[in-house]
Amino acid sequence: MIIGNYIVSFILIALGLGVLCTQKNLIKVVLGLGIIDYGVNLLIVSAGFNEGGTAPIYTISDLLNGTASTFFVDPVPQALTLTSIVIGACVDAMALAIVIMIKKRYGTVDADEVRRLRG
Amino acid sequence: MIQHFPVLSVMVLFFSAFLIEIVGKNEKIRNLIAFLAVTASLIMLMALIPTVMIDGQVISYWMGGWTPESGYAIGIGYEVDALSLLFALLGIVAYWLSCVYSFGYMKGKQNLGHYYTLFLMLAGSSVGFFLTGDIFNMFIMMEIVTFSAVALTAANTEKLTAIEGAFKYLVNCSIGSSMTLAGIALLYMSCHTLNLAQLASMLPGNMNNTTLMAFALILTGFCVESAMIPFHASFVDAHTVAPSSVSMILSGMVLKLGVYGIIRISYIVFRAIDTNQLQIMLTAVGTVTMFMGVTMALAQHDFKRLLAFHSVSQLGYIITAAGLCTGLGLNAALFHAVNHTLFKGLLFLCAGAVIHSTGTSDLDSLGGLSKKMPKTCLCFLVGAFSISGLPPFNGFVSKWLIYQAVYDKAVETGNFYYVVVVVTALIVSVMTLASFVKVLHSVFFGQLRKEHENVKEVPPIMLIPMIVMSLMCLFTGLCYREFDTVMIRSAVSAAFNNLGYVDSMMGEGYSVGSSLTGLFEGGSVFSYWDPYVWLVLFLMIFAASILCFLLMQNTVGRTLKDGQDYDSVYGTGDINVDFKGSTYESADPKEKYEVFFSGEKAEYSHAGGSDLFWGFKYNWHKYYEIMQGLHSGSVNDYSIYAVIMIAILCVFMFAFMH
Repeated sequence: MIIGNYIVSFILIALGLGVLCTQKNLIKVVLGLGIIDYGVNLLIVSAGFNEGGTAPIYTISDLLNGTASTFFVDPVPQALTLTSIVIGACVDAMALAIVIMIKKRYGTVDADEVRRLRG
Repeated sequence: MIQHFPVLSVMVLFFSAFLIEIVGKNEKIRNLIAFLAVTASLIMLMALIPTVMIDGQVISYWMGGWTPESGYAIGIGYEVDALSLLFALLGIVAYWLSCVYSFGYMKGKQNLGHYYTLFLMLAGSSVGFFLTGDIFNMFIMMEIVTFSAVALTAANTEKLTAIEGAFKYLVNCSIGSSMTLAGIALLYMSCHTLNLAQLASMLPGNMNNTTLMAFALILTGFCVESAMIPFHASFVDAHTVAPSSVSMILSGMVLKLGVYGIIRISYIVFRAIDTNQLQIMLTAVGTVTMFMGVTMALAQHDFKRLLAFHSVSQLGYIITAAGLCTGLGLNAALFHAVNHTLFKGLLFLCAGAVIHSTGTSDLDSLGGLSKKMPKTCLCFLVGAFSISGLPPFNGFVSKWLIYQAVYDKAVETGNFYYVVVVVTALIVSVMTLASFVKVLHSVFFGQLRKEHENVKEVPPIMLIPMIVMSLMCLFTGLCYREFDTVMIRSAVSAAFNNLGYVDSMMGEGYSVGSSLTGLFEGGSVFSYWDPYVWLVLFLMIFAASILCFLLMQNTVGRTLKDGQDYDSVYGTGDINVDFKGSTYESADPKEKYEVFFSGEKAEYSHAGGSDLFWGFKYNWHKYYEIMQGLHSGSVNDYSIYAVIMIAILCVFMFAFMH
């Protein structure tokens, strides 16, 4: 059921935000960012789904003979999801690289100790 | 030919970014490529001014020639109207100046090839964000801006804390862009298009629950980008620790992405700005932001951190004015957005010059630099006068327009709320001036420190951008009428002309039969220098200063009565004020300045240059205790504020705009 996808995607987004708010370990914070991304990706890919639709892939003969199905799954959200997955992977990689540098410079990955900029 | 310029101006920046990575080992070749790329982009965008700004045309460009098919936009389009072009020009001018400044400022640093690659990617993605006509493309550009900004911030090897600022910035921006993406997904579900023009022909007056939720989420994303109140904290951290040439871009330019986004979606795409509720919400968020920003700036000891809080405050002005939904209000907002980039860029460049020469940005260990660095001091004076709104500099014109716009709105609606907004704006302006008097006093005037006796003026390559920006501040202040007519007003009319926006993108006559209901009214009411308004303004200033005076009077000179214990009046507190060198990390204003009044609370108290307004800080100590506690520096706390604000915005939309 497609409605299940929507519910799960918003649960994932809420879960990710919850991780950001409660977890002190910076690695876990990065994982929280990832979970939000997965929730959003699930939401987008569900947006284009049509129950019983075919894949939007046609051969020339299909098009010429007019036998191509007109009821297909929307391909645009799938392209958007791919883009969004790539961007999400970049964000996670960059954030983890920064956490490594924080560990090197501060000697800790605890969010309560990584707060020299404040006030 | 001219319709290819928008996409070329973005491509040349991205292409050169990767070219530098390949052939940029040699410093001269690298600098040459970066300079040529930014210059080429600048020239191409300037060539669009006659067509777009003066003739009022909209340039549309479909990638790969995929024009709309039977009324549906299937390709990715670039769409340049005067609003886009104004922001794009503003951006590329800032990047050009920052690029020239970098040649001097970053000289001798390591890994400069990567610096210029990221710098050009930042430039290309911000220009692309303004010029694109596709909402998903806007999201992608926003993400590239975030990446490059984070990497540039983290690459500052001189500051140990740079990495921390970068991490907070990344987490905060990721929350914002995830929300935007969720909103875009919801929007696609109900409209099945991503093109801004086609959305603008479907959505206004036709909102359902899904699109309302999408609007709330996308607005949240752009509020994050423009550093509105609970989202500002991590931006301030990042602006403090980035290299100054990048701070200037982050503070002056990247925050404008959010401003442009808010104007674009609320004026054109959703056109929800004509509802009273959204106007009150945006002005309220803006007003709280401007007040909080300036009061926090007064308590700062770091030069760049102080400037960053002022940026937040000025962004509050811009959003307040843009939220009014009047022609004058939007005019004021755009004018102030331009001016903010100019004067804030100038101030950050001056801060960079001070850091370059002395190696420190701590206000308490600087002083008397006006003799050693007279040109920097002069440029800083121009910037400080501009941001405080003194005539004849540009800040005066745009702040004046903002007061007048809010005042007109108050008269028009008869709502007392807008009177509160205009009085707050005036008080904030006074505090801004006070804060810059403090900076001038502690950096450029006063006594020269012994360790700074051999300080030299910065090299000419760094002075040129500063002088150019000072001249631009003066120019927009003196020739405001010409500048306003050519640049700003065409952008304002573009923002109000959403029929034209749709028609030029989707084909003539497309908007007929859609749900558009005509243009906004009152788009061209201009009356500067109305003496009647002056009089009211002075009365308001008078009232505001009496209010300030009463607030100050509250505790000044209070003496302890006989038999009254000290702690029962002021509460108990730890008397050991924490001094670490010259940075008062946890110096509580209450205890620190106690010694100047009556009871000697602190055994040793040293008032540095940044403590010029100690009386104010003393009287507001409760406020500062709360606010400094809230700016705790923990990434978890900032996420909690963000989640609360997202919840507030969503609930607000469903409660009041349904």
